[in-house]
This record gives sequence, C-alpha cells and structure tokens, in this order.
Amino acid sequence: MTDHPPDASGEVAPAARRRAVVAWLGTGSLVAGAAGLLAAMARSVVPEVLYEPARRFPVGRPADFPPASVTFVAERRLFVFNTQDGFYAVSAVCTHLGCNVNHEEGEKGFACPCHGSAFFEDGRVRKGPAAWPLPRFAIALSRRGELVVDTRRTVGPEFRLKA
Amino acid sequence: MRRGAAIGATVRRLYRSVFRTGWPRTKPQRLQAMLSSLVLHVHPTRVRVGVLRPSYTLGLGLASFFLFVSLTATGLALMLYYVPHPVAAYRSMKDLEHAVAFGMFLRNSHRWAAHGMVAVVFLHMCRVFFTGAYKPPREFNWVVGVVLMLLTLALSFTGYLLPWDQLAYWAITVGTAIVAHFPVLGPQVRYLLLGGNEIGQAALLRFYVLHCLVLPLAMAALVALHFWRVRKDGGLSAPAHASQRRVTAWPHLVLRELVVLVAVLATVNVAALLFDAPLEAVADATRTPNPAKAPWYFLGLQELVHYGAILGGVVVPTALVVALVVLPYVDTHPRGVGVWFARERRAANAVFAAVAHALVAVTVIGTFFRGPNWAFVVPWAR
Repeated sequence: MTDHPPDASGEVAPAARRRAVVAWLGTGSLVAGAAGLLAAMARSVVPEVLYEPARRFPVGRPADFPPASVTFVAERRLFVFNTQDGFYAVSAVCTHLGCNVNHEEGEKGFACPCHGSAFFEDGRVRKGPAAWPLPRFAIALSRRGELVVDTRRTVGPEFRLKA
Repeated sequence: MRRGAAIGATVRRLYRSVFRTGWPRTKPQRLQAMLSSLVLHVHPTRVRVGVLRPSYTLGLGLASFFLFVSLTATGLALMLYYVPHPVAAYRSMKDLEHAVAFGMFLRNSHRWAAHGMVAVVFLHMCRVFFTGAYKPPREFNWVVGVVLMLLTLALSFTGYLLPWDQLAYWAITVGTAIVAHFPVLGPQVRYLLLGGNEIGQAALLRFYVLHCLVLPLAMAALVALHFWRVRKDGGLSAPAHASQRRVTAWPHLVLRELVVLVAVLATVNVAALLFDAPLEAVADATRTPNPAKAPWYFLGLQELVHYGAILGGVVVPTALVVALVVLPYVDTHPRGVGVWFARERRAANAVFAAVAHALVAVTVIGTFFRGPNWAFVVPWAR
C-alpha cells in the first residue's frame, strides 16, 4: 500500500479520498448496525402483552357480604367492607414494600407482617414505616347485580356504595 | 517385553501431547510450569515470600473464587431438573429432594456454598480494607471487587426466587418493592425486572435467565479482570520495606491454593451432608407469612427498611456503595499498606470497622430479634 499525500497543488489524490469515504461508510454501517441490534434487543425486554389478571373484576353479590363485615378477597388481595352506610374496598397490599396486610378485628385496623406498618380501617396510616395510605378502590354494582371493583380507580375515604 | 515398551512409549507420547512438560523438578522446570499451563499461567513464576503467609490474606479471595466454581458445577447439575415455571418450579424442587439421586445433596451444597460466598466475599473486602490493599495502584481493582460483591448479592437474590416457595415469593416481593422506591427510574426497573406488574411466570423466567446465564457470565468476566489486575498492579500488596525475597510459585503458591480448595470443598460438603436446605410451602400470593423474612444477608437491609423504605432501601445502600467506590480515589496515602490494622490508618480502620459492625448488628437484629409484625422479640423467650 502506498500513501497518497496531497500533491503540490494541495489536492488530495482521488484514491485516498475514495478510501476515506469507504472507511467512513464501513465504520458508520458497523456502528449503525450494532446500535440497531442493541436497540431492538433492549426494546424487546419491555413486554407488550401482560398475562396478568384483569384490573376490573367482580368480587361477588352484595348478599355474599354479611352486614357489618370485613371480607378478605384473597385472590384479588383486597378487603371488602359492608358497613351501615354501604360498601367500600381497600387494597390489602402494603404501600411500604408490598406484603399482604392482615385485618385485626380487635384493633379495628390492618397490620403488616413484613415491616410492622399499621393502618386504620379506611386505609389511613396508623403507624409507619409505610408512608402512604392503602388505596381505596372504586366499587360499583353491575347490571348482573355483582359488586365490581376497579383497581385502576381510587376513591376518597367518604366513598360508600349503597347496594 | 517389546510390546510393553511400545505401549509405554505410546502412553508417554499421548501424555506429552497434553502436558508438554513433565512434573517440574528442577528450578527452571518450576518456573516453566507456570508458563506452560493454561490454568496455572494466571500466576507469576515467582512470588514474594511475604504474600504467602496465610495470616496475611487468610485465603479469602481464593475461597470466594472456589465457592463460585463449586456453585457453577452444582448449579449446572440442578439445571437438568429445574423447570422455571410457577406450576412446575416447586414440583421440581420436590423432585430434587426426593426423586433425584443425590438431588438433596446437590441442592444443599448449592445453598450453603451460596451463603458461604456472600459471607466470604464480605470478609475478603474487610481483609483488603484492613490491610490497606485498596490504595493506588490497586484502586481500580477495588472497584471491580465492589462490583463483584454486588454481583454476588444479585446472584443470591435471583436464585432465591427460583424454588417458588413462600420464602422465595415474599422475599422477592419485598426486594422488588425496594427497587420501585428508587427515585426516577425505580418503578420502570421493577417492571422490566418482573416483566410486568406482578411476580408470575414472566418474573420467574427473567430471574432464571439472570441467575443461570447473565450474572454468572458477568461474574466470570469480572473475576478474570480482577485476577489479571492483581498481576498488572504488581501482585498482592506488601509493605514498602517488605522482603523482596521470592520463591517459585510451583510448588509454594500452588500448594497453598490447593489447601484452600480442599478446605472450601470439605466445608461445603460437610455442611451439605449435615444440614438440609429449607423449603417452605409453595408460593401463595394470598397469604403473607408472619413474619415474612428475606434471606439472612438481606435481613440487615430489611431491618433498615423497617425504619423507612426510602432511608433503608435506597439512601443507606446507595451511600454505602458510593462510599466504597470513591474510597480508593480519596484515601490515596501510601502509608500502612500491606499491614493488618496499621497504626497510621487507625482512623480509617475505626470508621470501616464501625460500619461493618453496624451492618452485622442490624443483620443480627433482623434475624434473631424480630417476630410477628416485625415486633421486637428476644430469641431466648418463647
């Protein structure tokens, strides 16, 4: 291989310019190809379809919940309260680190077995380390007469469903 | 007779095709031994006498490496029976316990070696600190070591989910919730790690791939870098005034390494024979055990998380890792290198010892002094 230094007029020899262009093209395609491959792989890690339970689901008929009762719906990880004023649903997933809280009948509240958080029955924090209240989910009566909980929608502490 | 000689010559020729040099006897052969073997050539041909003292290194780095090798071997055997699916995973654990020849022994061995590796890696870091061995020119290798320790913890954590029992399920629930508390990208990283919002099939498969492929490969690559840098940074650390007398690595170094190997394997095997790895009831998302405890090496973290998820799960661990990484670039004074608890390093050693003791203390509290609802209990009162 011989070099092609600029000639007396300062012009770069055509062969050298051609080689530089080919080298840039080669390097560029290599980088672009590798970046594209990596980007495709990285994107594929984010799932498009989740095979998870629906976020809105029926939990039973109002008659299934005795008056003045607290029912743990285990497979949905939430509590359904039937009070004098109506129904409401509270998440059973501790807002601290995700364990299931237990309902304590005597304490009129919830206790988390993992890190000792405690909550009132309306979800408010009684004792840390949890910083946020247990969310209360929207609950509605379907046309088929079932209580339907929507975990995508949270509601305020005054929410009650008359049913 | 002539036939016997011919067979002997053939055997010798076959042997020589594998091992080009014979058993090293003379000094030149001993020097040559390190250079003519793929396995041994990671060693120097000669080593300073000072670094051979068992009381200097305690063989901890080497013990970590041998534990990793042992874990790779038993892990491969376990992989032949383990099925990473929520329905099949727990059954394959039961198969390993009852229906596979030496299945229980292999699982025990894998479990205790993993626990041992976490402990030994931690002790190795303590050794390197207390002998000042992280100082320049070894500052980068210290950082590699910090990453190796994090990889060790990540391997333990991902391995924990695989049995799909109650301990596994709730330990990962707590662990991934801690991840979600990290500012900015926390929830997204949790989503990627679990492959969704819940711990299910996608999460199990992702943890399996990380545990069996991604993390061990990263570990192997960084272990190679760690060893290579030991050589390139001038061998093991030693005081400036140390004796420069050297002996051949064969047999002095190799023999000591074999002793560590035998000690490690013997300890793991005896533990695997005496103690069975626990397996709780099959994972149940509707029933949180009370108390729900992470593996012991994360119980310190769980104890800290009890005081606040952000403080214990994010601030303290991040601060510790950052401090470890920055340390060798800040503390560069060459005094006190190569000596245990050097007088000149009293302050640094005291700080490190205090932090290490605090970590052990919260781990002990989390392990023995926490009962239902994470309330304080005394272990001897039933």
